[in-house]
Amino acid sequence: MTGAGRLRLGFIALNDAASLIVAQEKGFFAAQGLDVELRREVSWATIRDKVTVGTLDGAHMLAPLALAVSLGVADGEPTPLIAPLALNLNGPAVTLSSRLASAVGAAPDASGLARLVARRQAEGASPITLAVVFPYSVHNYLLRDWLARAGIDPDRDARLTVAPPARMTELLVDGVVEGFCVTEPWGAAAVAAGAGQLAVRASQLWPRTPDKVFALRETWAAEHPEAVQAMLRALLRAAAWADAPGNRAELVEILARPHYVGAAAPVIAGSLSDMVFYAGEANAPLPVHAGWLLSQMMRWGHIGQDVDIAALAGRVYRPDLYRVAAAAEGLSPAPTPDSLEGFGEAGVYRLADARAHAASAKLSRMPTD
Amino acid sequence: MRVLVIDPDPARAALVAEGLAGVEPLEVRHAAVFREAEAAAFGPDVIVVASDSPDRDTIESLREATAANPRPVVMFVDRSEPGLAEQAVLAGVSAYVVDGFSTARVRSVLEVAMSRFQLMNQLRQDLDKAKADLASRKTVERAKALLMKERGLEEDAAYRLLRKLSMDTGRPIGAVAADLLAYANVLKGNAT
Repeated sequence: MTGAGRLRLGFIALNDAASLIVAQEKGFFAAQGLDVELRREVSWATIRDKVTVGTLDGAHMLAPLALAVSLGVADGEPTPLIAPLALNLNGPAVTLSSRLASAVGAAPDASGLARLVARRQAEGASPITLAVVFPYSVHNYLLRDWLARAGIDPDRDARLTVAPPARMTELLVDGVVEGFCVTEPWGAAAVAAGAGQLAVRASQLWPRTPDKVFALRETWAAEHPEAVQAMLRALLRAAAWADAPGNRAELVEILARPHYVGAAAPVIAGSLSDMVFYAGEANAPLPVHAGWLLSQMMRWGHIGQDVDIAALAGRVYRPDLYRVAAAAEGLSPAPTPDSLEGFGEAGVYRLADARAHAASAKLSRMPTD
Repeated sequence: MRVLVIDPDPARAALVAEGLAGVEPLEVRHAAVFREAEAAAFGPDVIVVASDSPDRDTIESLREATAANPRPVVMFVDRSEPGLAEQAVLAGVSAYVVDGFSTARVRSVLEVAMSRFQLMNQLRQDLDKAKADLASRKTVERAKALLMKERGLEEDAAYRLLRKLSMDTGRPIGAVAADLLAYANVLKGNAT
């Protein structure tokens, strides 16, 4: 027993909530002496509010949202959060409407789209509208980076809007949006419905893409260290279970239940292939991942230029807590890296150069002086 | 008053309309899901959204993104979430979260939300203006320094020259100062 009482953990209906769902369904939380109530929420704003005010003890959260809440830029006062565990790598994908996809070709870069955008501008037609799931999301920054690499200014040459993941297919069919970036299974669902085509997967742009984290209030975590470790151990076991090929069929069946992800089982089954829940220490919360995302946020002017990226990344992302849990599970975590390879066009990204990277990135909103 | 109610359950729109009885003119429109084009065409004075609506993220992003046409948002939270509303308001988390729902309170809740929203909007505009004024003052200072150096003028003579240019062209002094600095850069070969 951890003395924390009944724990209330929130999640959104997405494949990457798998470890939380599995920990509950397969008894990994219970095995650690935890009494967990899993609550499905319908919007990231609600997850943010409930974690902030304490009606949820922890949640499945977009990594940039955890950083934005800690900084106080995502509406409301700053509330320091911690991310002691990453829930998944890969999973987001850019999907374009079938009509748009056939017009711009199948290349995974956005060069075809850039030509179309230029043609539409010349004709005075309305700009292309693309949707993401939340302003402070990996999806927003991934889509922006993809567009910017082809010379498309995401604010000037396109219109980015926010829509709930489960409604993306409908919006695509109705022509309200012409493409979107979401986490699976909702990209696969649009493809299965014949409404869209996959343009590029996150992993093709940012290898082993960071996406969702398990987020807790810093003060709550400090008061409940045993409960935190017990949850991390349970989530590590659940993640290993979710990644095991032999468990895939059962995982799909669990996720497809209406009160979890609630998408068709064949769609979920097809959309899990690229996602990593455990392999290669996927659960290590790497401050360099947080730094990369903060550099993107600074690049686009979403956070102030005076933010100390390395300090904030190190305060929110807590590999120290992860390592204690991993060691207790008999794992021997590799040293925590401070650089990333293959992210963006700069080659190697170093946490120490986070600000310079943001300033030199293509279309950066930071002054060049 | 134009009120847009986004709620999968039509009952809430009926309650809002009932609570606003007597307000003239009044138009309460209900939609199960939020559609941006419809909302823009309707032009609501206030949007009421159910806390369990998946469209909350969309509505919230509009509030941040479309500074040109923001709308106050009222969110009614169910009694099944004890404490959320009070704590959210205390923490300044969400724009307007109100616990419970009774027709007697609808009108006052919406009016408070709208006036608070206008106040916040005014504060934001004042802040933007203060920032712009400060930037303009800095530009004028730099243009003044340039005139003093290049033309050998005293400080107040340099300022009078800028003010005259501003009056002659009918443009704000900050704009004239900015032009002067830009032209000076061209003449010095600093700009391409």
